[in-house]
Amino acid sequence: MESLVNALVSGLVSGSLYALMALGLTIIYGVSRVFNFGHGIVAVIGAYITWLFLTSVDVGLVPSLLISLLIMSLFGWVIYRLTISPLLKKPNWEFSTVLFMLGLGILLENVTLQLFGPRVKAMPEFLEGSLKLGFVRINWHEVGLILVTVVTVVILNIFFKHTWMGQAMRAVAQSIAGARVVGMDIERIFGYTFGLAFAVTGFSGVILGTKYYMTPHIGWEWMIKGFVIVSLGGLGSTTGAIYAAVILGTVEALATLYLGAIWVWPIWFTLFVIILLIRPQGILGGRVT
Amino acid sequence: MDFVTFLKKLTWRNVVVALAFVFTVLYPLIGGKSYTLHLFILFFIWGVVAASWNLLMGYAGISSLGNIGFLAIGGYVSGILAKSLDLSPWVTIPIGGITSMVLVTLLLGLPALRLKGIYIALLTLIFADSLPSILTQTRDVTGGSMGLHDIPPFFSGMGKIHAYYICFVVFLIAQYIIYRVVHSSTGLAFVALRDSEHFAASLGVNRFKERLKVFALSSFLTGIAGGFYVHSLGDISPTTLAIEPFLLAITMMELGGMGTFFGPILGSAIIVFGGEFLRLAGTLRLSLLGGLICVIVLFFPGGLMQLVEQLEDWVQKRIGRKRSSPAT
Repeated sequence: MESLVNALVSGLVSGSLYALMALGLTIIYGVSRVFNFGHGIVAVIGAYITWLFLTSVDVGLVPSLLISLLIMSLFGWVIYRLTISPLLKKPNWEFSTVLFMLGLGILLENVTLQLFGPRVKAMPEFLEGSLKLGFVRINWHEVGLILVTVVTVVILNIFFKHTWMGQAMRAVAQSIAGARVVGMDIERIFGYTFGLAFAVTGFSGVILGTKYYMTPHIGWEWMIKGFVIVSLGGLGSTTGAIYAAVILGTVEALATLYLGAIWVWPIWFTLFVIILLIRPQGILGGRVT
Repeated sequence: MDFVTFLKKLTWRNVVVALAFVFTVLYPLIGGKSYTLHLFILFFIWGVVAASWNLLMGYAGISSLGNIGFLAIGGYVSGILAKSLDLSPWVTIPIGGITSMVLVTLLLGLPALRLKGIYIALLTLIFADSLPSILTQTRDVTGGSMGLHDIPPFFSGMGKIHAYYICFVVFLIAQYIIYRVVHSSTGLAFVALRDSEHFAASLGVNRFKERLKVFALSSFLTGIAGGFYVHSLGDISPTTLAIEPFLLAITMMELGGMGTFFGPILGSAIIVFGGEFLRLAGTLRLSLLGGLICVIVLFFPGGLMQLVEQLEDWVQKRIGRKRSSPAT
């Protein structure tokens, strides 16, 4: 019983982390219908940049994060303008963007490897100590992580509901043709979308990096899990992604408890297949197109 | 075939293919070095993998990212059966191929019927990614992360030359099968579904049947290739399912030209034989591969075959212009 509850708590924590990570993916897909196959490596890079500023320039956690966010949003915007934008104009874009981002992901992963070395880096935890409620053990740090996730989601929701650009993105996500008809500059909006998504993803990479170990290669694992989550939650729905992340995080924790860690990947695969067969648009996804 | 038709068929492409064929047949006999023979064997195997993958992705337009898994399944099944049950590879390889075909068609082909392109890509990717952990789990049977070793060859005392010719024949047969399929009504159906699904469906092309067919054929051929791979080389391990072989295979298709017949062959030749240069790059290998894929997708989506065709057109125009010049 004790281990079960602890597993559930652990699942909640990892679920929140996954939710944070899946947000960037949802944003890009929701608005531009591009699947960011380089999602994992973007998260990793965001984390590494923060780590770099943290350890070498010694400016403290918050400034490092801010710098990293800035760099990542620029990066996203540049990647969009330079590479995705031309690809989207060709007829084969669904396919070519996947391949391109895949190649880019490999390239970036390897470059990161060259620059930072393969040895595992650790992001320092924010808070020390742990909390004990009865037999449930949770670190203050993990509580902090959940809080960070909640705050981020709230901020993003405010952005999407009350800022012009946020509403513009939602408009494009709902109907790109309609957005064009009313005269929205799709190129500009996409650029901002990529910038925002990269920033959020980079941020999530930092957060994930505090709980899990960090090497460039872990990006793929995060990416695949992110995809399954986004599929379950409904592509384009941030709320759905959060629900899905928590559910899948919990399932993963339970599976690890009862079956062992090695079965994690086959389980993700099975879950994915089940989701796709039963409800491909996910829990909250509206359109299947 | 009379002489005139023969001359007409003497396009430079056919000549090149014929020369390459003759060269490949004769190479071991004119003193081929053992390492180069090894490279050729790899080329034959990967050529089949790339060609069947191209059938799935290029001709049928299904973004499948997990074909390496088909290779692994075929190879492992064949290797395990040959080692533990002491069956002849000629028996186990087809079994491996069929296992691969059945598993893939059930696990990937069936769900893929209901899915859009991107989901299929994800599904196949996760599939290929979950295989290594299954393999590591089943250490007793599959050798875990160490892999299978000492897999029995086709016959005892087999040398590189024998493996060379065996794989060459397999390569030829596989390419021939693919060629026939591509130029048959089934191949036409694949392409029709890729280019314009609804229109094809309205003409009576059965989407479900054709999708299953292409998955089955592709996985069967790749599984067979896997079988020949393990019995020629002697071992296999989960590293075959790592990111690098996957990237290499994708690059083979992209570089050569996805959706063309010769593209994968050309691509795999370049990658296998040019792989030496990649090795020189050391740890930058993967960056180069990734960068290469990016560049190809951005600037040369049709791969080398597209360049070849553009070149052919250009030459035709020059020659045509000369012939029709009024001065002569």
